[in-house]
Amino acid sequence: MPTLTFSDSAPNFLTRPLELHLHSLRTMAVFVEVDHIDRVFKLPDGGEYIALKNIDLQIHKGEFVSLVGHSGCGKSTLLNILSGLDLPSAGGIVLEGRQVTEPGPDRMVVFQNYSLLPWLTVRENIALAVNRVMKKHPQAVRDRMIDHHIEMVGLQKAADKRPGQISGGMKQRVAIARALAIRPKLLLLDEPFGALDALTRGGLQEQLMKICQENEVTCVMVTHDVDEALLLSDRIVLMTNGPEAHVGQIVDVPFPRPRERMEVVKHPNYYSLRNEIVYFLNQQKRAKLHKAKPVVAMAANGLEKVNLELGFIPLVDCAPLVVAKEKGLFEAHGLSQVTLNREPSWNAIADGVATGRLDAAMMVAGMPLGMTLGYGNQRPRPMVSALTLSRNGNAITFSKRLFDAGVRTLGDFKAAIDRRPDQVHTLAAVHPTSMHNLLLRYWLASGGIDPDRDVSVTVIPPAQMVSTLKAGTIDGYCVGEPWNARAVSEGSGVVMATDNDIWPGHLEKVLGVTEAWAEQYPKTHLALVKALLEACEYCDDRRNREEIVDLLCKPEYVGADEAHIRQGFLDPYNRGDGSQPEHVLNYIQFFTGKANYPDVSEAVWMMTQMARWGITPFPRNWLAVAERVKRADIFGQAAREMGLVDTGRDRHPIHLFDGLVFDPDEPLKYLDQFAIKRDLRIEEVPMDELTIA
Amino acid sequence: MTAPLDIRPARSRFNLQKFANSSLDALKGLVPPAVAILIFLVIWQVLTMGPDANLPTPVRTVQETWELIINPFFNYGGTDKGLFWQVWTSLQRVALGFTLAAVVGIALGILVGTSSLMYSALDPLFQILRTVPPLAWLPISLAAFQQANPSAIFVIFITAIWPIIINTTEGVRQIPQDYNNVARVLQLSKSEYFFKILFPATVPYIFTGLRIGIGLSWLAIVAAEMLIGGVGIGFFIWDAWNSSRISDIIIAILYVGIVGLLLDRLIVFIGGLVLPEEQKQ
Repeated sequence: MPTLTFSDSAPNFLTRPLELHLHSLRTMAVFVEVDHIDRVFKLPDGGEYIALKNIDLQIHKGEFVSLVGHSGCGKSTLLNILSGLDLPSAGGIVLEGRQVTEPGPDRMVVFQNYSLLPWLTVRENIALAVNRVMKKHPQAVRDRMIDHHIEMVGLQKAADKRPGQISGGMKQRVAIARALAIRPKLLLLDEPFGALDALTRGGLQEQLMKICQENEVTCVMVTHDVDEALLLSDRIVLMTNGPEAHVGQIVDVPFPRPRERMEVVKHPNYYSLRNEIVYFLNQQKRAKLHKAKPVVAMAANGLEKVNLELGFIPLVDCAPLVVAKEKGLFEAHGLSQVTLNREPSWNAIADGVATGRLDAAMMVAGMPLGMTLGYGNQRPRPMVSALTLSRNGNAITFSKRLFDAGVRTLGDFKAAIDRRPDQVHTLAAVHPTSMHNLLLRYWLASGGIDPDRDVSVTVIPPAQMVSTLKAGTIDGYCVGEPWNARAVSEGSGVVMATDNDIWPGHLEKVLGVTEAWAEQYPKTHLALVKALLEACEYCDDRRNREEIVDLLCKPEYVGADEAHIRQGFLDPYNRGDGSQPEHVLNYIQFFTGKANYPDVSEAVWMMTQMARWGITPFPRNWLAVAERVKRADIFGQAAREMGLVDTGRDRHPIHLFDGLVFDPDEPLKYLDQFAIKRDLRIEEVPMDELTIA
Repeated sequence: MTAPLDIRPARSRFNLQKFANSSLDALKGLVPPAVAILIFLVIWQVLTMGPDANLPTPVRTVQETWELIINPFFNYGGTDKGLFWQVWTSLQRVALGFTLAAVVGIALGILVGTSSLMYSALDPLFQILRTVPPLAWLPISLAAFQQANPSAIFVIFITAIWPIIINTTEGVRQIPQDYNNVARVLQLSKSEYFFKILFPATVPYIFTGLRIGIGLSWLAIVAAEMLIGGVGIGFFIWDAWNSSRISDIIIAILYVGIVGLLLDRLIVFIGGLVLPEEQKQ
């Protein structure tokens, strides 16, 4: 499969033609495409139950895929949708390029309870299927087919018995024989061995494995049994708990085929894989217990709290908060008394939200995760982020002095450092957990510069960046606008790289609240998310940009020079390196391309980077932490109530400019690749104890 | 020392003790009902022993009806026939009416069960009609048919049909989703679905309906014959009452009860032959 990176092009989710192209490339190799499936059940009381949310999965020909998860996670619903017995509420199944709209014998199911017809004998049960599906073949061929499959599962002696007269294991063998006899393209197995004793199960698993291998059947199996999944599967899809169950993690099973049970168990990776899966399931079990919610009295407008103190930092990307306030969007969603607090630094924001001085705040991307994990050896404090406020909008600016000394690229910088090892270059980012810090460090490290040993990276609030740079205390920084534009226009700095050069479309600012707050004021939280989501949509409409610039220029918000705010946001972007200013596509992205979805994969990437630089430990339960912080369910409810698309972003690997690919299923492998990194601390973060804190 | 070579179990040998045990068990099972009947007869005897009792004692009943008991097959022409012939005539009527009810009821039941429109349209109607007592139909059927025999058969028919329809409908609606899923995945044609899945899956329910139906039709025949006259166990009872032969009534009631029980057992027996092990209720 061709790998495409987007380092030299616009963000992938915006350039539709490119995405479509990529899509078609991918589908060629794909046998079954599960395309962004939602399944919503109507409840008798008029409500809705979202069983499955945004399931996206590609299955290749001849592959054996297992679906593993706790009861009620929608595994069987997904299998029914694959078979066509149930239809998705959104999205669809494509089998060999054709959409699945109804059940058919090319997607034969082995049902959980065998579903043999009790009034027919074993042979008649199989014959019913064969005679129906293979009508075109002469009777003799069909009979041979039936006999062959009865033999295959070793039931010659029971061929003329009825299901009531044979054991559960034999019934299941009949069901498998019936399914295989009609040569399905896709075999779907719903907990096929769940009701059998251990000995029978073991024998049947081996039989199934052999048959599937010999006939190159593509299989999807639902199971509870981790060992069964490991023995049979090429890939194991771990599903999170319902409601809104989705794909949590996909585990590749690397054991060579043909497999023997004893050899598989002895494989060096067997127990680590098994532990990984069991660990996931245990984490999910805990998350389930966690979801019971207290009931709170309503203050007004059907919300628990209508007077909110929100924190923001003067930056162009605080626009959604300003717009929501100035355009009355908070009031429209029932939040009648919202005060925006202009905070001096990101630390003040973190403290303000943690101590309860602020109800919620715009935060740098990694702050909710960092606080949950206890960054910088602080007490862990569980945070929730249900909305991404903006993407992109950062740049790395170096001082004019460095530029004049010939530093034009990262390579030049590396050379300059090597020339003068005695001279310490100091660079600045806005917060340890911010994307600026992570991107700056990633960028430096990709050029062979250790951000802690070869240079010094320090923390300075955004608004003080330019003056500190002018004073010569620092040699460069990574910050959001308008603070790069200002350095450029004042002639004190030159933009070395924008985030479009590093990771186009990365998440940048998020809405953050404490988990305790989110649980105490669920409706208020939802209203806040809705108001800001509407504001984000408003911000990405270019017709509104002039108005937004005027709002941002007000002294109580950003208060910067209008020309600086316009840079990139409306006007061509000047890097200050003598090149022609040019328009940048999605310089800041507030809404388009599913920008607002709280993406778990991105959260995992940030956790790898924070762990890489020793900011936080890497949680062994990384997925549980990410799912607990990134509340896609709250976002989804807000989006649905506003009539917007609530589908999430795809679980695609993340491609950064240096060609390294981040696979959200393999974060530790990803971390291993880096040459420059600090000592990794891998710790289990006990999410249950955090709630009490 | 040699080991015993012949270790085959003596399967074919007649095991006297086992046989004795099992027949003893069977006898033990008969004891409680026998005692109950005895007590019943004693109470009956005691209650009717007085000189001005309205009902005969059990002993007198047997004495007076001895002729009927020992000779159920006499036929003196007209309505003066032995109890066998009386029951036989009634059974013929029941057979005709019940068969009609079964055929029409099963067909209607399947139709109503498979179509939710028909179900919502007709089910309320059935629920009302099924509570109508059998005899309430008699005047209407007499008015319609103008003859006794067809009227009696119609009453049987209309009494027995409701449980058959309702149970068949229920059976169709209760077809396990698993079987329907199999049919959908295999894309069975309509006729294949009917003969391979729908009908076999509904059979246990149909038999439940038939069993209730046969009981009801036996109830109805006695009542109907009382009014219509002619040969038949119902009219025999009515006639005996008119001629003050109370003992005859008692013996006829016994016949009716035993025949009703046998009819019920017959349906169960046929159901057992037809249904596979897994579907028995």
